[in-house]
Amino acid sequence: MSVEITFPALGKDPDQQGVVATWLVRDGEPVTAGQVIAEVAVDKVSVDVEAPTAGTVRLLVPEEGVATPGTVIARIE
Amino acid sequence: MTVTDQPAAASATRRLTTAKAISEAIAQEMERDPEVFVMGEDVAAYGGIFGSTTGLLDQFGPTRIIDTPISETGFIGAGIGAAVEGMRPVVELMFVDFFGVCMDQIYNHMAKIHYESGGNVTVPMVLMTAVGGGYSDGAQHSQCLWGTFAHLPGLKVVVPSNPYDAKGLMTAAIRDDNPVLYMFHKGVMGLPWMAKNPRSIGPVPAESYEVPIGKAAVARPGRDVTVVSLSLSLQRCLDVADELAGEGLEAEVIDLRSVVPLDREAILESVGRTGKIVVVDEDYRSFGLSGEIAATIAESDPGLLRAPFTRVAYPDVPVPYARPLEYEVLPTHRRIREAIVSVAGR
Amino acid sequence: MDDELRRGFYRQMVRIRTYEEAIRADYHADKTPAWDIGAGLIPGEMHLSAGQEPVAVGLCAHLTADDGLTAPHRPHHLALAKGVDMRKMTAEIYGRETGLGHGKGGHMHLFDPSQHFSCSGIIAEGMPVAVGQAFAFHRRGTTNVAVAVAGEGAANQGAFHESLNLASLWKLPVVFVIEDNDWAISVARTASTSVPSNATRAAAYGVAGERVEGNDVEAVYQAAGRAVARARAGEGPTLLEVHTVRLWGHFEGDAQAYRGDELAVAESHDPIPAYEAKLRADGVLDDATVEAVRAEAATEVADAIAFAKSSPEPPPAAAYEHVFV
Repeated sequence: MSVEITFPALGKDPDQQGVVATWLVRDGEPVTAGQVIAEVAVDKVSVDVEAPTAGTVRLLVPEEGVATPGTVIARIE
Repeated sequence: MTVTDQPAAASATRRLTTAKAISEAIAQEMERDPEVFVMGEDVAAYGGIFGSTTGLLDQFGPTRIIDTPISETGFIGAGIGAAVEGMRPVVELMFVDFFGVCMDQIYNHMAKIHYESGGNVTVPMVLMTAVGGGYSDGAQHSQCLWGTFAHLPGLKVVVPSNPYDAKGLMTAAIRDDNPVLYMFHKGVMGLPWMAKNPRSIGPVPAESYEVPIGKAAVARPGRDVTVVSLSLSLQRCLDVADELAGEGLEAEVIDLRSVVPLDREAILESVGRTGKIVVVDEDYRSFGLSGEIAATIAESDPGLLRAPFTRVAYPDVPVPYARPLEYEVLPTHRRIREAIVSVAGR
Repeated sequence: MDDELRRGFYRQMVRIRTYEEAIRADYHADKTPAWDIGAGLIPGEMHLSAGQEPVAVGLCAHLTADDGLTAPHRPHHLALAKGVDMRKMTAEIYGRETGLGHGKGGHMHLFDPSQHFSCSGIIAEGMPVAVGQAFAFHRRGTTNVAVAVAGEGAANQGAFHESLNLASLWKLPVVFVIEDNDWAISVARTASTSVPSNATRAAAYGVAGERVEGNDVEAVYQAAGRAVARARAGEGPTLLEVHTVRLWGHFEGDAQAYRGDELAVAESHDPIPAYEAKLRADGVLDDATVEAVRAEAATEVADAIAFAKSSPEPPPAAAYEHVFV
């Protein structure tokens, strides 16, 4: 069963575009629950994105790719 | 001299940005030693303008992660006073370019108290600071200046180029009983809001470890040309070396990691084998690090060189603002490549 | 005020003056015939504290070995009153191996960690360091205080203002003591400072400020007592300015022509004979006691200087030591 990871809401505007600034893991790598897998940013505000469960991560958005809150950026299988 | 001491299996170790590696080192030392604390402008809630203290306020609270007023003389001096009383402050000077307003505390006090007291007083303090340009921050916010500080006795000066060394050097710096100037290039921090080289994210062991201060690393072994560099330029040198390897030119890239103490043996050993050297230094060309390396070789044995000493350094001009101007004077991939190819061909 | 306390003030001031006179004599002795600052038993600059004894003595009577003190380029009175060992201090001034800094620091850079005492030759720059010492004392939950002493000229340096603001903001146990001797080398206070009293600058930083006139050791003692108590009680810093007198030059060799007639006036306000007269009038001192005090001071000072002179100079190779731990 796969778990989706979505781009978080960072600002007040739910449609404001942000970017997946840095992938800290590679596509297909095993990850543990709680492991920080990415840094995402809207303007200069950035947050860490953690893997909610253990599994194999699939990256769905390229590094420095644009995303809005709710976009599915990765999946844990 | 160590051949690269980075962990081999990337997938076995999680990856961090340099900024996160620095803050992790500080956090682990603060967990280990209650005398360690952090002080500086915007280090608390903001996490440091360049991310060096991200997450520390949440973990340690405002009594150990302390925002200061804009009073560099005041708070750097206060760091010195706390250090002479046995605390271990990590003080951040937001941009190295600001040293003008507080240099007396740095070079007349932090650096000299141990010597002036005949060894009776120590100043176990880390002064960390952001250096470097390449993102149009202009003449007063883009300098490197390790040559300036290295010139003045009493300070150790460390300059990591990657996340693994960043964590290990910060740990070593905090544990060192001497004052250590820890200079992190903004371009190696892996910040989400600044164009970054992929080498700014890398495998970092979760456990605590030290990288020895005063020891260079061979970032890439080779036999044709010795390339000596540090900081962001080191990352560019590795990119160029990778490219040239595909064309049959094997550059040996040495990451200084520390400017004081300078690992002269590592440089001489490599040049002794290759006979050719290119120093890549984002600090000003004249009267600094690159000249010191040339002097080291000349003093040891000028016969080592089969081609003239070559440096790709920042020219003696203030940092210009407009991008085409700034990229004319930075040690870019193109300039580095041209220098290595030219020297190799001699 | 207790007789023994007052006699103690007198004794300590005589001790300091005797010391400064002896250092002065040796400093000049072999720099002749053509005065050469680098020559002789005590080379380099020399800044002596004759006339400023009341500040050091009244202040340090409230301090223990565990309290910190950062002194300026004119530190001898403060070092002696604080409790720095006279022999080791003297050996340092004479550049000997047995000195506080093994001859590395000299007269302006006296460090005694057992007294949390340090000096700096850079005007006002000892103030931020004192703030840091106070930070450590406060953090550790002690009642120790850190004192920063500087001249009235230092109150126009950025470090003074930053230190006051920071110490006030963080409510640290610091006492800032300004020795207003009217002169910053040759520049009178009226030509350097925008306000008549630095004590009034305290309000700008939200700290208590007090100015003591008359260069009287007992008045300093009372005021310093208030400031130190305030700091120990966790109520924050005080800016204490003491109007004192610089009887000799800024440095030894200073002809002081710029002082004109004021010099004679200053010399007529030597605080030690004045205090002696007061104590004699109060029956606290008599000829015998005065003689004994002077003799004791002379003996101690002679011993310290003999210790220094008989100590070896540091070996040249020692110049390379102690850059790093």
